Formats: sequence, structure tokens, C-alpha cells
Amino acid sequence: MKMTWSQGAHPTAGTRDGVHWIFNPYLLLAFRLLLAAIFMYAAVQKIGKPLAFADEIHNYGVVDYGAPLSIMAIVLPWVELLCGLALVTGVGVRGAALILIGLNAMFLAVIAKKTIGYMGDGTPFMRVYFDCGCGFGATYAWKKLLEDAIYLLVALALLAAPRHRFVVSIRRRSS
Amino acid sequence: MKILRIAILQAIAIAAVSVVVGFAFNAFSRNGINPLKMPVKVPVAAEGSQAGEEGIRIIDLEEARRIVEGGASVIDARRKDEYDEGHIPGAMLFDYYDMGTYRDRVLAVLSNESEIMVYCSEVTCEDSELLAKELYLLGFTKLLVFKGGFSEWSGAGLPVERGDL
Repeated sequence: MKMTWSQGAHPTAGTRDGVHWIFNPYLLLAFRLLLAAIFMYAAVQKIGKPLAFADEIHNYGVVDYGAPLSIMAIVLPWVELLCGLALVTGVGVRGAALILIGLNAMFLAVIAKKTIGYMGDGTPFMRVYFDCGCGFGATYAWKKLLEDAIYLLVALALLAAPRHRFVVSIRRRSS
Repeated sequence: MKILRIAILQAIAIAAVSVVVGFAFNAFSRNGINPLKMPVKVPVAAEGSQAGEEGIRIIDLEEARRIVEGGASVIDARRKDEYDEGHIPGAMLFDYYDMGTYRDRVLAVLSNESEIMVYCSEVTCEDSELLAKELYLLGFTKLLVFKGGFSEWSGAGLPVERGDL
């Protein structure tokens, strides 16, 4: 069912008619705080432990030991932390959402790859269980895939949302 | 299209700040790594191979017991809470993921003339081997990795120490 905001009730009323319920500014704020909490927590678990994080990335069998892996281990947790900060403060929300779309798409791909590897060894999909290195410990792969898919959709909503309350927009002042 | 352009610019800004802050933090962190350090091939000899070769040699429970009884240096590569719950007698804590905390204390008592045995939780953990490789790169060449780890040791009913050393 598609709901629309009545004229005057939605903060963007007057600029567009009929805004999907998913773009309710309070819901968008809740989405932002949810993603921020998750990614900032995950970042804090990894910051200061680049060696451990590099091993976890290496375990996916996608990037071998060397400079690219080390750089990812150093920088990626800070990307997550700064995206979280952007979502909390409302500064650079679209940029943070775009990065989180990319990160979650990447996480989905590598977790799916690892899951398929376990399934190839005879483990049923629903029983594949491992530590994804995400900062939350070991869990079932299906659960992690579902979570990441939800985060991806939430980030997509934040990217596509029309200008709304609770977001800081920086504009050039025309003289 | 304008939305996407703004998003890309903001994403570039976030990524750029992350790179700067990440590298700055890494430079001052006690667990910081050298991102340009190339991986070095460390010789690893399989279980059952002869002693005396330089590099890392995988050992079984029987040999681990002889090494411990002989008074060699033993390193526990697990976390502090795991170590405090129980460890091989005389083992020094050297958490692979928090090496900066223990490096000075442990390296001060290690000798590159004698054998050093490293272990972690169980046969599936890799931290003992990864820590042994780090020690090899620091100049310690007589390294033994007890793959069975603490679970095999304690499971065999061998003596266990508890608490901080």
C-alpha cells in the first residue's frame, strides 16, 4: 500500500506531491541512527587492531597479504566510523549512504562466496556458521546475509530520500 | 542526477578524511602496522619433521610436553581472559592481536639461540602460526608451533596454570 503525505504535513510539501511513506523524515532519522549505531560499533571493534582485521579480510580469500590488504585494514574501520558520524550529525548523509551501499554490497558478495564454500563442503545453508570479521562475532551466514541486505536497502532509502528535516544542507550563499 | 553528484562528492570527502585519520592513527597506535611491508615467505616444516632446521616447525603434544619440561620459552598467543582462565605452565602471554601491549616485556626475555614454543586455543586457530611468523621476522629462528593448542594440552590432563604470570 502506498501512503502519501498530505499537503503541508510533509516538510518537502510544495516541492513534490505524494512522497512515499519510506521517506517519512522520522523514519529516515531512525534509519540513520540504526545504521550509525551498527557501523560505529563495528568500527570501534576494529580500530587499533589492523593486524587482526587484515587476517579476517584475508580469510575471505579475496585479497592476499600485502599493501592493499594492510591499507584496507587501516582505512576501512575509519570509513565506517566517519559514515556513522555523518549519519548521526546529518552532515554528508547522502555520501555516507552511498559508501554504505558499496560496503554492504561488498560484504554480501564476500559472505555469499564464503557461505557457498562451506556449502560445497557439505554444510546445509541454514547451518553455515562463522565469524564474518564484521566486529559482532560468529553468527549464522543466512542471518548475516539478511542483515546486510536490510542495511543495503536502508542505505538506498537514505540516498534516494528527498531533502527533509534533520539533515544539514550546506549551500553556497549567493551575493 | 544532482543527488548522485552530491553523494559522490560527499563520499569522496568521507573517504579522504578516513584515509588521513586512519593513517595518522595507525602511525601512533601501539598496534600500528607498516602498510608497505611485503609478506615474507617463512619456512614452515610440517609435524613430524626433524628438529634443527631454521624457521617454524609444527609439533605434536608429546614434543610440546618435552619442550615445556625442558624449560624452553613458551608463548601463549591467545587473549588475556583466555590466558587467565588457564595456560601451559610458564607460558608468557603475547596476544597476537594486541602485540603492542606485550612486545617489550616478552621480547626482553626471549633468546634467538634457544627454541620458542607458541600455541593458541586449538588445532583450528591460526594465531600461533601467525605470531611465530612475526617472531621469525623479528630475528627468532627456532620456532615451534604446538598446533593442538591449549585445548589438546588441558584435554590430555597435563598441568595448567591459572591467573596472570
